[in-house]
Amino acid sequence: MTSRKYDVVIVGSGASGGAVAYTLCKAGYKVAVLEKGRLIKRDEFSKDELAYARRDIVTPNLFEEYHTIEEKVEGKWVATPTYESGWSFWNGNIVGGSSNLMSGMLHRMHPDDFRLKSKYGEIKGANIVDWPISYEEMEPYYALAEELVGITGKYEKHPYEPPRSTPDFPQPPTKENVVVKLIDKSCRALDIVPLVTPRAVLSQDKGHRNACYYSNFCGSYGCSSGAKGSSREALLKPALATGNLTLMSNTYVKYLHAGKKDEVEYAMVVDTVTGKEKKISAKMFVVAAQAHESARLLLNSSNKHHPHGLANSSGELGKNLIFSAGGSGQGELHKESLKAIKFEELMTTGLFVNRSILDWYFIDHWWDGKFKGGSVEFMFEHQNIISRANKNNEEDGKLVWGKVLGERLVERFRESKSIRFEIFNDWLPNDDCFVALDKTHKDKYGMPVGKLRVEAHPQDVKVGKYIAKKCEKVLEEMGAKHIYSSISSAPPQNLVAGGCRFGEDPKTSVLNKYCQSHDVSNLFVADASFMPTGGSVPYTWTIYANAFRVGDHIVEQLNKG
Amino acid sequence: MKRRKFLILGSVFGLSSSLMGKNNNIVFSKSLKSVEKTIQSVQQHLFPEGSKIPSARSLNATQFLLETITHLSYDKDIRLFVIEGAEELESREKGKFTVLSEKEKERALRSYEETHYGSNWLSRIMTLTMEGMFSDPIYGSNVKEAGWKALGSYGGLPRPTTRYIKL
Repeated sequence: MTSRKYDVVIVGSGASGGAVAYTLCKAGYKVAVLEKGRLIKRDEFSKDELAYARRDIVTPNLFEEYHTIEEKVEGKWVATPTYESGWSFWNGNIVGGSSNLMSGMLHRMHPDDFRLKSKYGEIKGANIVDWPISYEEMEPYYALAEELVGITGKYEKHPYEPPRSTPDFPQPPTKENVVVKLIDKSCRALDIVPLVTPRAVLSQDKGHRNACYYSNFCGSYGCSSGAKGSSREALLKPALATGNLTLMSNTYVKYLHAGKKDEVEYAMVVDTVTGKEKKISAKMFVVAAQAHESARLLLNSSNKHHPHGLANSSGELGKNLIFSAGGSGQGELHKESLKAIKFEELMTTGLFVNRSILDWYFIDHWWDGKFKGGSVEFMFEHQNIISRANKNNEEDGKLVWGKVLGERLVERFRESKSIRFEIFNDWLPNDDCFVALDKTHKDKYGMPVGKLRVEAHPQDVKVGKYIAKKCEKVLEEMGAKHIYSSISSAPPQNLVAGGCRFGEDPKTSVLNKYCQSHDVSNLFVADASFMPTGGSVPYTWTIYANAFRVGDHIVEQLNKG
Repeated sequence: MKRRKFLILGSVFGLSSSLMGKNNNIVFSKSLKSVEKTIQSVQQHLFPEGSKIPSARSLNATQFLLETITHLSYDKDIRLFVIEGAEELESREKGKFTVLSEKEKERALRSYEETHYGSNWLSRIMTLTMEGMFSDPIYGSNVKEAGWKALGSYGGLPRPTTRYIKL
């Protein structure tokens, strides 16, 4: 059966799919959003650690759907299926995507992130290019995302804080744990400027969404008040209210069919519950399935007109995949040695640690040199109880058990609290980080799975370590004990972008500056795939902003008929 | 490290074809039944009475473990590993692990831990026990929130009303 009642079909309901759907539905166009996962409504979410944080309940079973990951072992590329390694590259396959599960620490990219090559020059072995648009073109959409998604914060002037068109955030920051006093004091003692982290969590009611209720379990969990700025709450709900959106959950897209060289005609989909296949046609198609899966879908859509994959005349499809480089570190604040704040207040649960450092976003130092650095976020160790307990059961490589374990856990939980930092720096695009189709492995729907080669550029680790040393000093100043940091070239699978670079030249990029395929005029890719470089901040705000920009452009094209 | 290789490494039995056969439900249930007492005994040794946290016995930790590894969401390879690791422990202790004295059990488990395989298995049993002890009481093990109370840390609201987000 072929249905033809939609102006636009969007593949994926996460941050970008939601932003495009919102824009089109508000403009009066009929939209179908196809989402592989199921719908979990606000009142169905809970803080069930076992289900959300320890099992594949909101992501596919790895024996049914998986990736193969290529890593260099003794000089050779070895691909391991993720059902073997347990290393899942799925992120929140439910309506609203992984935006349901984010912790919502967001930053805008800096204007110089849009012109990294011009500003910082080439780096050997890295495929750095300037973006085809400037920060000025993106800024109105950063502001729009701030308003619609509900990003809260407090603007403070800083050399590396991007300029903004509105004086301040639409809502003040969420409530903060007293530990921010200690962080601020310690940073100032070290001549570091601590900034309030913008967060996609409402501090006040907004329309159908209620303010944060400080559950203590935010990241990795769905939000039960609607405060978190997920695509589902902030965008899909209002889009549904227009009457123009058809939300199809449990709908897996096998491929897009382009019967003519320059036009997609329909999406071939499978109902994941009944197994029935059908075609869904529309005037335009928007792919928003998360970077590595969007490239895979286009590669799986090859046909006689597009033998190397849809929108791939450049041969660039799937290439220059990027993650976020950096790593994290941690230290323990102990009751008996705590400075400046009261232990009982430190142990208050639920309140946020809204602190970031941008001082090392760009480094220009007489000794260290001039190079692109990164951003830092502070947070408490995730409050998941099982995982915290499980982290404390070893000493000198041996398991601790019996009464000793009991004493250790009670002391660890009751007498101390761990403070963490996370570093975000550029994952330099390079020839050994890409997604292709695996030639032998197929998912349960019979489609070739994505094969990801995930090699990092050596500069990424160098920058991460440089910043980690500085962060460790902050923790030392705070009086933390057992400080360590872990910077590695392993990719964080929840921070993925690239694979469908945008650019002016159809020979070297997959998409034009509006994220429209150079080859196929009714095809757009709206997620983070377009990013040729990723900046040194989490991608989510930029994904939202860019998808609003893409949505506006599609509306313009539809208006022209 | 590939998961299967990781699980097999150092095992006397190996993740063998006979064990793979156990991955059908009837054979699996039978195998599980045969090692239940061994697993229970190990859990109790790791989480004994008189500790600052509740004992495995008081929290029905074995029942939780059995229900957990037989649930659809649990990795089939790992559930086989749980059984095989217990069989191997009994094999090392000539089928008498459950009746050993506490001191002998300590020796047996520390000696098992010396092997890469035994260390992984013990770590898995401990994780499965902690999962019960510190997960929501709906899963049956964190009885009256005793695990949470011991640590002074509680799960967030809202609490689950069904196991594994069964909608």
